[in-house]
Amino acid sequence: MNNRVNPDLPRELREFGIRDWNECYHCGTCTAICPLTAQGFLFPRKTIRLMQMGLKDHLSTCVEPWLCYYCGECSEQCPRNANPGELMMSLRRYLTSLYDWTGLSKKFYTSKVWELAFIIIFAILVVLTFIFVLPPLDTTLTPQGGVKVNSFAPFHIIEYFDWAMAIVVAGLLVSNILRMYYRVVWQGTSNKVGLLDHIREFWHLIYNFVVQPKFSKCEDKSYWLYHWLLMSGYTIMFILIVVFLPWFQTEKIHPPWHLQRALGYYATIGLLIGLTAAIIGRLKKQEFKFQFSHVSDWLFLVMLTLTVITGILIHLFRVNGMPWATYVSYIAHMAILVPMILIEVPFSKWSHLAYRPFAVYFARLQKSAMTKTA
Amino acid sequence: MRSMEEARIGVYVCWCGNNIAKMVDVELVTELIGKLPHVVVSKNYKYMCSDPGQELIAEDILEHNLNRVVVAACSPRIHELTFRKVLEKSGLNPYLFEMANIREQDSWVHDNREAATRKAVELVAGAISRVQYHEPLDKRSVGINPATLVIGGGVAGMSAALEVANAGREVYLLEKTEQLGGMVSHFDLTFPYLYDADKMLEVMIRRTINHPHIKVFYNTTISEVHGYIGNFETTIQSDSNQEQTLTFGNIIVATGLRPFDASRVGQYGYGRLPNVITSVEFEDLLRTGQVRTKEGNIPQNIAIIHCVGSRNTEFHEYCSRTCCQVALKFANQLRSLLPDSNIYDLYADMRAFGKGCEELYTATSKKEIIFMMFDQQHELPQIIKSVAPGDPPMLIFFREKISGLGLEIPADMIILMVGMEAHPDVKDIAHAVGISICSNAFFIEKHPKLDPVATTTSGVYIVGNCQGPKGIPDSVAQAKAAAARVLATINQGSVHVEVTTAEVNETLCCGCQTCIMVCPYTAIHYDREKKVSVVNEVLCKGCGTCGSTCPTGAIRSKHFTDQQILSQIDGLMKMALKIE
Ligand SMILES: Cc1cc2nc3c(=O)[nH]c(=O)nc-3n(C[C@H](O)[C@H](O)[C@H](O)COP(=O)(O)OP(=O)(O)OC[C@H]3O[C@@H](n4cnc5c(N)ncnc54)[C@H](O)[C@@H]3O)c2cc1C
Ligand code: SF4
Ligand code: SF4
Ligand code: SF4
Ligand code: SF4
Ligand code: SF4
Repeated sequence: MNNRVNPDLPRELREFGIRDWNECYHCGTCTAICPLTAQGFLFPRKTIRLMQMGLKDHLSTCVEPWLCYYCGECSEQCPRNANPGELMMSLRRYLTSLYDWTGLSKKFYTSKVWELAFIIIFAILVVLTFIFVLPPLDTTLTPQGGVKVNSFAPFHIIEYFDWAMAIVVAGLLVSNILRMYYRVVWQGTSNKVGLLDHIREFWHLIYNFVVQPKFSKCEDKSYWLYHWLLMSGYTIMFILIVVFLPWFQTEKIHPPWHLQRALGYYATIGLLIGLTAAIIGRLKKQEFKFQFSHVSDWLFLVMLTLTVITGILIHLFRVNGMPWATYVSYIAHMAILVPMILIEVPFSKWSHLAYRPFAVYFARLQKSAMTKTA
Repeated sequence: MRSMEEARIGVYVCWCGNNIAKMVDVELVTELIGKLPHVVVSKNYKYMCSDPGQELIAEDILEHNLNRVVVAACSPRIHELTFRKVLEKSGLNPYLFEMANIREQDSWVHDNREAATRKAVELVAGAISRVQYHEPLDKRSVGINPATLVIGGGVAGMSAALEVANAGREVYLLEKTEQLGGMVSHFDLTFPYLYDADKMLEVMIRRTINHPHIKVFYNTTISEVHGYIGNFETTIQSDSNQEQTLTFGNIIVATGLRPFDASRVGQYGYGRLPNVITSVEFEDLLRTGQVRTKEGNIPQNIAIIHCVGSRNTEFHEYCSRTCCQVALKFANQLRSLLPDSNIYDLYADMRAFGKGCEELYTATSKKEIIFMMFDQQHELPQIIKSVAPGDPPMLIFFREKISGLGLEIPADMIILMVGMEAHPDVKDIAHAVGISICSNAFFIEKHPKLDPVATTTSGVYIVGNCQGPKGIPDSVAQAKAAAARVLATINQGSVHVEVTTAEVNETLCCGCQTCIMVCPYTAIHYDREKKVSVVNEVLCKGCGTCGSTCPTGAIRSKHFTDQQILSQIDGLMKMALKIE
């Protein structure tokens, strides 16, 4: 590991949203107040120091940024307005780009042009595919008076697309998580961690992924609820579309209490509540965690909101028998959804969803390695 | 020597709110004491030092025709003067008074009420026994020579000199070197506002040199001063090697401090590595307007190391108080001069207190200075010459305290923030003017909080860094405070001097001169004709050292005569036996 202090790194980190990287004077108030810091994983002060000194090797083996759930309490208490919570957020962006071997993550975080160009190109590709590849649309209605979606976008074809996309995205994400594992667990611990430890600690991964318990440690419990609604809604919708599309995209209109529609409604409402809370928060900027928004934060919120809205429109137009409107919103929905998933899941915000529970898991592994040394 | 008239004593026991009353049964003390012979009145009151408390004594003196007063209360250091004044106002000599300390020496230090009450009775009985032997003493005063001697021509010395001289009084300013200005003449800018040091200093020096009431002596210092407040005298060796005698009424010492010798910290390589320099040398470098290494290159990596020689028991335990802020000043200046350089600041603690200084710290941290913390007590950084090709010439190895990591810093230039320490001749100066130095070799003030520029020797003041490390604003403030004190003394025309002095009984004195050797205030001299020692009553502080040393019992300390002290013990012991 390189132990040489390197002033160039903090300068570079500006691109990831770090503003006054040197404001912190290390009083330690933030670490004292942080509800999530724990023995062996002291943050955010220590992590900030590593960043200020430009110790790239040490930073890249750090799980601490992932253990922070950005409640913003540290930023509220910091006597120097160093905004430690935001520094941790920026470090998560930086780490995401370090884990990503394609280099795209860094490009998206540091260049608006790259990010927008990527979105637009994929949106156009989606639209072109619908126009030229998929069958012509059928405006007749089903006996129930619904739109024949499957004639226009046959689920078996869409399903292939979904699968292909899922495989690409998952492949990227898994390879990046492996790179994270290599840094955090292999490079970050002096003792090697045994297979048994890996198995013993595995339930932490599942538990943290499903429940996101760390959020509930923050003083403001509503934050955990909003985040959980958003996350569970997103995950359910993702699974419905990618895994259960034939069951989800039916021409038969089920009664509203049918599981298919009930799950869809739950996911939509969860997404809407979570999104509204986040957007209001970012607009009001009253809470610290919402005071500084990186371009990627807004882009993600806007795209997800548009996805949800177009999704709702498809549903409304479909059950009310309005074929043209249904098809236009379907194309729009896909044109936003596809680039969003391609960017967010492996390279940006939603990859955090995977990194976080893995970080908790890896932290457990680090800890078991540490106790071995002791 | 009991005075002719019958002693009529008034005794007053103070509650001191609850301070005394909670541990001492003051009612009982009053009652028991009231039964002693010669005690005419015995009273207690909640706060004797308050106005009604004082009036109580004054009324009793008139009503009962009292001629002695005893107050049992706090320490005489706090209120002896208060009560003496009451006696004076009521027409009694203020020395016909005695105080028994039943607070600091009793209620505050015991936890058994019964025993504490008994002790109080005994202490008061001792005081009553003693006060019967008190004699009236007369106040004395001496005239003041209106000239002032200032030793040291730094910012503190010059400020004091100018302040006194502007009031129209003569000042002799002695400077050891050939120029005025002291440490500040090295500086480029001054913290916290980064003002030009030269501009400030030049004006001050010009005013000092041209002032009609200031006479500057260069290359001059003092070796011996005779006399006492109002009437000092010394002989100096001036420039032209001529001896000159100066007489003056007050002395202001402003000899400053000197930088710590950085080569004493072995692992910093000062003296061995050419580009390891001290903060003072760096100031000189800044004055040239160009920061270059010894080889003439522009340094890319510059490190600043704090606390060199300070805050480490191996060198000096104290904090030199200005170096953190000087380091911030340097970081700012470096950033302006070399915008693309890497600047590292290794501190033990950042002490940026004081007006404008925290703001300087905050502003500096916005300038991409990398701050790091090391352990000043246990693990000083190590500077080594680097040998690897492509590396900068020096590497600093250290353990960063907050991350706990052992790290290295590349460096082309390293600035050591040296602490301040006393001049080697500080003991001579202290001896010459009759003041003391502390364990750090700074001059000691009369009271660290309530009298910070005076010393225990009347008429001698200490200002600026020689009293302890500090910045220019504090040094100047002290200088002006001392000047005000001096001017007030001069304006009085005369000062009261101690009357509780020693006196030699010439018939008993054998001329052994032991007393001369022990007197800490050089107040005794030997009369060769009469072959006896003589006490200079103006110089004598009444410390009693000579009296207790004199083998023939020739010395009598006024107000502390053998008889007075023995009778106090006698009264105390008798009461103790009686209570048994
Ligand atoms: C590198 C450095 C940078 C600093 N920068 C700042 C700054 O930016 N701002 C700030 O506020 N403070 C600064 N300081 C502190 C500043 O130096 C002191 O506050 C100031 O010098 C104190 O003035 P002084 O007159 O008490 O002592 P000095 O400046 O030390 O002057 C004492 C004078 O007395 C003379 N002298 C000594 N012994 C004798 C003797 N026996 N007889 C006759 N003369 C004698 C000396 O020759 C000298 O001229 C800095 C200090 C250092 C070391
Ligand atoms: S981020 Fe703020 S609270 Fe935390 S150590 Fe730094 S200055 Fe203190
Ligand atoms: S934002 Fe909250 S969780 Fe994150 S470091 Fe600050 S206090 Fe801890
Ligand atoms: S002022 Fe700063 S550098 Fe100087 S001794 Fe004190 S702590 Fe150390
Ligand atoms: S010690 Fe006593 S006897 Fe000796 S010289 Fe002094 S006064 Fe005289
Ligand atoms: S009482 Fe003290 S000060 Fe006075 S002459 Fe004796 S030793 Fe000196």
